[in-house]
Amino acid sequence: MWAYVVRRLAYSLVIILGVLFLLFVLFFLVTTPDDIARKAVGEKAPPQALEQWKKNHGYDKPRFWNREHPADSMLVDHFRRMLTFDFGNSDADDTPIWRRLRSGAGPSLSLTLPLFALGLLLTIPLGLLVAFFRETYIDRMGVVLCVLAMSISTVLYIIGGQYLIARVLRWFPISGFDPSPVVIGRFLAVPVLVGLLAGVGDSVRFYRAVFVEESGRDYVRTARAKGCGEARILVHHVLRNSLVPILTQVVVVIPSLVMGSILLESFFGIPGLGSITVDAINANDFATLRTMVYLGSLLFILGQILTDVSYTLVDPRVRLE
Amino acid sequence: MKGGRGGLCAALSVLVVLGACTNNPYPDVDAGKKLLYLPFDEPPKTLDPQVAYSTIDHSVIGNVYDTLLEYDYLKRPYTLIPGLASEVPTPQPLTDGRVSYHFRLRDDLFFADDPAFALDGKGTKTRQVVAKDVAFSLARIADPEVNSPVFETLAKIDGLREFSERLKKLRAEDPAFAELRIDEQYARAGPISGVRVTGPLGLEIVLTESYPQILYWFAMPFTAPVPWEGVATYDGREGRDLFSEHPTGTGPWKLVEYDKRLRIALRRNPNWYGIRHPEWRAPGAIYPEVGESGDAAAGRLAPSAVGQALPLLEGIEFRREKESIPAFAKFLQGYYDASGIIKESFDRVIRNGELSPEMAARGMSLSKSVVPATYYLGFNMDDPVVGREGGDQSRKLREAMSLAIDSKEYTRLFTNSRGIPAESPIPPGIFGYEEDYRNPYREVDLERARTLLRDAGYPGGIDPKTGAPLKLSFDSPDTSAAALLQFQFFVDAWRKIGLDVSIAATSYNQFQDKIRRGAYQIFQWGWVADYPDPENFLFLLWTPMGRTHGGGPNTANFSDPRYDELFLQMKARGNDEKRLELIREMRGILEKERPWIELFHPESYLLTQGWLHNEKPPGLSIPTAKYLDIDTAQRAELRNAWNQPIRWPAYAAAGLTLLVILPGIFTYLRERQ
Repeated sequence: MWAYVVRRLAYSLVIILGVLFLLFVLFFLVTTPDDIARKAVGEKAPPQALEQWKKNHGYDKPRFWNREHPADSMLVDHFRRMLTFDFGNSDADDTPIWRRLRSGAGPSLSLTLPLFALGLLLTIPLGLLVAFFRETYIDRMGVVLCVLAMSISTVLYIIGGQYLIARVLRWFPISGFDPSPVVIGRFLAVPVLVGLLAGVGDSVRFYRAVFVEESGRDYVRTARAKGCGEARILVHHVLRNSLVPILTQVVVVIPSLVMGSILLESFFGIPGLGSITVDAINANDFATLRTMVYLGSLLFILGQILTDVSYTLVDPRVRLE
Repeated sequence: MKGGRGGLCAALSVLVVLGACTNNPYPDVDAGKKLLYLPFDEPPKTLDPQVAYSTIDHSVIGNVYDTLLEYDYLKRPYTLIPGLASEVPTPQPLTDGRVSYHFRLRDDLFFADDPAFALDGKGTKTRQVVAKDVAFSLARIADPEVNSPVFETLAKIDGLREFSERLKKLRAEDPAFAELRIDEQYARAGPISGVRVTGPLGLEIVLTESYPQILYWFAMPFTAPVPWEGVATYDGREGRDLFSEHPTGTGPWKLVEYDKRLRIALRRNPNWYGIRHPEWRAPGAIYPEVGESGDAAAGRLAPSAVGQALPLLEGIEFRREKESIPAFAKFLQGYYDASGIIKESFDRVIRNGELSPEMAARGMSLSKSVVPATYYLGFNMDDPVVGREGGDQSRKLREAMSLAIDSKEYTRLFTNSRGIPAESPIPPGIFGYEEDYRNPYREVDLERARTLLRDAGYPGGIDPKTGAPLKLSFDSPDTSAAALLQFQFFVDAWRKIGLDVSIAATSYNQFQDKIRRGAYQIFQWGWVADYPDPENFLFLLWTPMGRTHGGGPNTANFSDPRYDELFLQMKARGNDEKRLELIREMRGILEKERPWIELFHPESYLLTQGWLHNEKPPGLSIPTAKYLDIDTAQRAELRNAWNQPIRWPAYAAAGLTLLVILPGIFTYLRERQ
């Protein structure tokens, strides 16, 4: 298994280098160091202040290739910083990016962890329920509701949730965040509920499909023939044997939970890493944006490797070689 | 039985949660405090007063750092009053055209308590503000590493540029020098000849030329005194804060929390001179007794406020709201004390230019004020078709195009009529603005426009060289649909007189590149005043400020020797009749030459809750929170009345959920048996 993991890591390095190169090229395809500097120093700052800012932040160097000093270009700096995890300071306000990551991880996890856990607790039983009632009116109603839920934009859920729960019913604040354990739930209730609603449709459809497919296997028929109840078959046999596809869907996202949710954090004013990413895009903050993309890629790859490893834990037949 | 207990617990939990639920986003302990709640969308870029140049930056540091001078809160036109300085200095002419200003700081001024002052190892929390601190701030403006955006403007201070160059050279030549403490670096770089510390509290500023507007810069945070201890301590190394995030100021408020992605909290600074010495009755520390007409009617001269020692509030709470809709909804719930008006709710809030009955019934007030800003369409005067090269022909073309644009209709369509038509570059509230002045080329007169076009050699808008409508290009740095719709308004207006103007929308970057190369014809731009002086608008058309050749803000590249001559005379004078005459003559040149088509001066609409008192929109980016007051009892009562939760839908939803899942549970249990 370790040989497999090492091989995957080696492949991943190539992918990461590609991501970093693409990020650099795409970012500077649509913007320039002048744009970044202009955003940072303000519209009214004179050209001298702009030039000085570029010099102070290393954006005055050649972009790809420095003929006189090959190791001194923006691209080389970009790779060196990312690969050594020396993220530097934000282009927007010079805040150290590590400090920003530390401050944003907590709020992000406080949103995504309950969303993830409650999502599993809600969607797997719902998937079992509709699988249990398959080919009945409950199943058909479930399909309609799930497709409806999948068809609605997340933004609409957010705006609707804020309007209904926070404005009309006045149960919880429309937006905001307070890390104090006493009141944090007040601020997370609406985003978690909205996040659950937005994700419930496709998850339930996926789990239903998995469970129904598993229900047609021989061992299930045998269990039925032996007089085992349908509900018991689903919970004790089908669910256990469906863990591989469930893990495929679930484990891959676990490392990325720390990166937060861009939409929910933005609309609900939660100062997590998703919100930092949006701020970085709006502020032309290349230093922060590349860090977020880089970390996002690393965590996604980590999630994939963990998923592969987790197969061996739930299915003894799987061997990673 | 087990399942029954679980269900009971779940039901009780739901009841507890619903019983405790509230949409109040603030801690209960703050409920009765006189705290001003305001939203902010973009986080401040920096709280370094020598660098900060955006409105949100100034809304924080303007309250934390006091300046030597400040503006009278109520008077218009804007009037300077003493702040940290004991009086507003007058210019003293020196030899060679140089001018000096003598500032004297008030005695017994102290910085806000800060651990940075404990550098002496004696546990000191603060120290007195002295003239050297102002000199230190000016040195920071010249420091290339600080990169102050106002260095070029303030380089009129004698020796400032030379100091900057000396500092840069020393740092480049000697790495050990760059590692010295910042005050030692400045000391070794030598004095700035135009910044003379004449005593502990005395400071003389010498300018190389007459520049009366320098006083306005001493009412802006750029020149606010900062302690060297703060800059030396907060360097961002070894876990220490950055000075740009840890202000060490002299203002009425002290920063107590700075999480710019969530909350910025200010509280009264007990070291502020207004709190320590109310007996001074300093102009910047007591509520003014005199305002402009309308202030008394608006309740800004209430006896309960006039003459009161400032600040009237306990603190300010800025809360981050990235999206405007939730922010405005919270204002409607009473959780913000003031708000702008979002476009989505404009019709609900404003009816016929006034507050809607619904909002008025909630006790809200609407403050309207014209922002000292001008939006305009500009012609690139370097362009062979619309610029100076075409002589009279091009001038008449510009005049004709000016006569086709209806500013009033434009503001009605695109700004909800929030703006007044502009007749000249100078907006209301600035010396030189004359309300009864009418620019003969800023009315809509299509017949006259067609005549001018014919005289210009384009009868009916037809270019004789091609036999087709004259083709022009409107260059835009914005490719959004909303922007294109606005630009289409101008294109349609010019089409009425036969011109074929196409929109060349590019990215901001490409637009800047076009500007650098001078490859543009017509553009739209705006300028918001830094300070209330006509010089701050008329310099936008001064030859040395040309954009293409000098990188300045004169994007029209307008150049007129007589205008330049008048500008230099106008710039060097105080506000008097002669200055007004100069401005009129300059205005006449612009009226005829039409490098700009003046569009409008924007109007700011500010909604305030009924419990917020003394609010007056400042127009300029200046701090006003110390003058505001809040009726906390009224706020608590109305917030409570507006935010009673409606709980029955939760119970109904819980019941419905049970109905849905119970059949499944029963089936499972039955099968188990």
